[in-house]
Amino acid sequence: MKTVAACFLATLLIPLVARAQDDIDEAASDGGEAPLAAAAPQAPEGSDDGMPEVDAGATGDASAAPIEIVVVGKPSISRDRAQDATLVEGQRLRDSPRASTFEALSQESADVYVPGRGAMHGVASGGTGGIRIRGLGGSPNSQVLVVEDGVPDYQGIFGHPIPDAYVPFLIDDVLIVKGGDSSLYGTNAMGGVVVIRSRWRDEDGYELSSDSAYGSYATVRETVSGLGRAGPWDLAAGFHTMSTDGHRDGADGDQMVGVTAARYRFAPNLGLTIRNKVVHLEGADPGPAMHPNPDHWYDVWRDTASLQLGWTRERLRLTMTPYLNVGVHELYDGFHSKDYVGGGIADVELRPSSTTELLLGTAWQHVGGEVNNRITGERSSVSGMTDVSAYGQLSVRPVRQVSLVLGARELLSSRYGAVFLYKGGARWSFYRGFAVHTRVTRNFRQPTIRELYLPYPTANPDLRPEQALNWDVGVGHASEHLEVSCSGYRTEADDLIRYFGVWPSAEVVNIDHILIWGVEGRVGLKELGPASLFVTGNWQDVGRYTRQNPDAKLNFTLELGQELGSDFIGGSVSGEWVHGLFMGDYSRQPIEDVFVMDLTLRYRHQSFERRVSLEPYVLLRNLLDRRYAYVEDYPMPGFNVLAGLRIGIQHVPPSLPP
Amino acid sequence: MRWLGVVLGFAAAGCDLAYPEVVVTNQTAETIQLRQLSFNGCYWEGVLAFGESTSPGRCLPGEDRVHFQKFDAAAYCQEQAEDGTIDGLCPCNGGTADPEILEGLTNAEPMWFNYQTVASEVVDYGEFHLFEITLTGLEQDFSAPSPYGH
Repeated sequence: MKTVAACFLATLLIPLVARAQDDIDEAASDGGEAPLAAAAPQAPEGSDDGMPEVDAGATGDASAAPIEIVVVGKPSISRDRAQDATLVEGQRLRDSPRASTFEALSQESADVYVPGRGAMHGVASGGTGGIRIRGLGGSPNSQVLVVEDGVPDYQGIFGHPIPDAYVPFLIDDVLIVKGGDSSLYGTNAMGGVVVIRSRWRDEDGYELSSDSAYGSYATVRETVSGLGRAGPWDLAAGFHTMSTDGHRDGADGDQMVGVTAARYRFAPNLGLTIRNKVVHLEGADPGPAMHPNPDHWYDVWRDTASLQLGWTRERLRLTMTPYLNVGVHELYDGFHSKDYVGGGIADVELRPSSTTELLLGTAWQHVGGEVNNRITGERSSVSGMTDVSAYGQLSVRPVRQVSLVLGARELLSSRYGAVFLYKGGARWSFYRGFAVHTRVTRNFRQPTIRELYLPYPTANPDLRPEQALNWDVGVGHASEHLEVSCSGYRTEADDLIRYFGVWPSAEVVNIDHILIWGVEGRVGLKELGPASLFVTGNWQDVGRYTRQNPDAKLNFTLELGQELGSDFIGGSVSGEWVHGLFMGDYSRQPIEDVFVMDLTLRYRHQSFERRVSLEPYVLLRNLLDRRYAYVEDYPMPGFNVLAGLRIGIQHVPPSLPP
Repeated sequence: MRWLGVVLGFAAAGCDLAYPEVVVTNQTAETIQLRQLSFNGCYWEGVLAFGESTSPGRCLPGEDRVHFQKFDAAAYCQEQAEDGTIDGLCPCNGGTADPEILEGLTNAEPMWFNYQTVASEVVDYGEFHLFEITLTGLEQDFSAPSPYGH
């Protein structure tokens, strides 16, 4: 009878698996995963958020016992099949030897450039960590939007994300959308979008993990996190703290990030999520090595809170997300600011037919704050900005191998009036894992409060918003052991906002039309025996504005790992080469190429009986002790070591199979 | 777990402890004070009088000049006396202040100017260096960044 049951199950599952595999093949080409729409024909009872298939657990006589299909999976983080994107699993970020999450993302995709200056990026003068994607972004402009669990995350006054505020302990995966997508995400999604999704536990029980590390420069890092699921409740919490003396005077700092999240499922298709993240950063701008200023300290508190209501029906998913992001920043010179970004997003995904998906949404957002100097008593006059927008996206598959995507957003800004944004793209999966894609997006960024009003070092209330038209075309192949992709891109931007000169004669203005174009590629050889190799490269021509916008970048990661029963031993060698770095525009003030390599060694012992795992590891950073800098006269640390121990504990109720 | 202890010990002994140690001594003149001394990532707070030395600082390996701010008390005294801002002190101009100097156009604030050593020094792991600042080995430093931040 077991044979009969197995045949029956196979009959049920084969079409689902085959269809899911088709979608995985397609999605893998853009670095994404199986899209929700295709992989989840229906959301059966017990599924969460219309999750995709497939697992089966049936024993005994098929004719007598009901067959139970257990749905395991998650919706796709990608919402646009035509976009060029890189998907990074959270575990890769947790295992990365790079000092921060943004730098770890940069290691995964060569068209993402993130400079550093040590263990922390810092804020204000001397801060690093600005993300550039395909030539747009960086500092002080923020043309790359970070969206964390559906919430746009940036500082209200300065308009950029805080790079030290992201730690990977609860990250499920990150999607790096290249070429921006203001149609879906609104302002700031000019050069790219970093979409972060956090983890939940998939089945009843709980898991706890601790990651403790100690190393050079008296660096102490501790992370404790936990996930739990009990009946209708899902819980996730984590606490991360890091303290370091830094590799030179003024490079010391303390980082604290705490996250709590709870989700209650009123019904299988109705859930409410509440999430809060608090961040505290203390550090300093060490200044140039020639002229250090370790007393230029900063103290930052930030808190992001959101609610998310999700409701799913057969061909419909409704999501509503109100959020509030507040922060208090204090600097050594008396600067004191309180800022906030608050808003709400509501969208509905409709699937009127098996070949058509429609996304309709509306968003509202207000940014504001106040700034004063605690020493001089001066108070800067600033005005907040509000925008509301309606957006939509239509995805059609006229034939199974072809996806067409059209999107648009009408944004109404309290300061700049109506702005129309649009995009269109296509993907054609022409042969077994091979696909081509192309997309055009019209993107937008409104000036920040700082650029408009604050004298740091100067302001210009007459600034116009930035606009960009991004186009890319690419081809890729993904299979079990090989993934290859290559994309060409071209960006035409108008009214980019740039600072020129230095205080007291600095100015901030809109510049004229600029053109950026480049080529990016990636090769991955996966699980060839114990080894995997990933190489990604990017070359670009950014035109006149070359400041901190490198000509070329190459990243590689060689991984080796071997399972030995309940043990695992492995490691990786990774490296980054950056060429054509300048500290000034017009290719002025060139600085030496960056080349750095890191080595990671780890051993894991897992006790399946006790459901405990122990994982000692050691990170050997800057293995070749290279003297290099991303920012002139901000030398990076020499060879340094971080050694740690991870402990994982799982508990599953006895009623569930081990 | 024994090797874990070894690894942790190795990490604890991290390479930062092998960074070169640098001491700077003020050997300029009795009337000259130095402050905000720095060398390749090291920074020393406080004022260094003639003959005094900084504490040993662990600096980055590499090459740099010693950068500092200099205050010449004798020159300051001479200027203030000439301007008549300090009554009865340093009668450098025959004991009387110049009546041509207009009040408000003089500056009684001591001025510290940016200087650096003429010679660059190279330091590497495990080394100890004593750098002496002398009057013949310093020059004005125009590489100091502008005072503005954010």
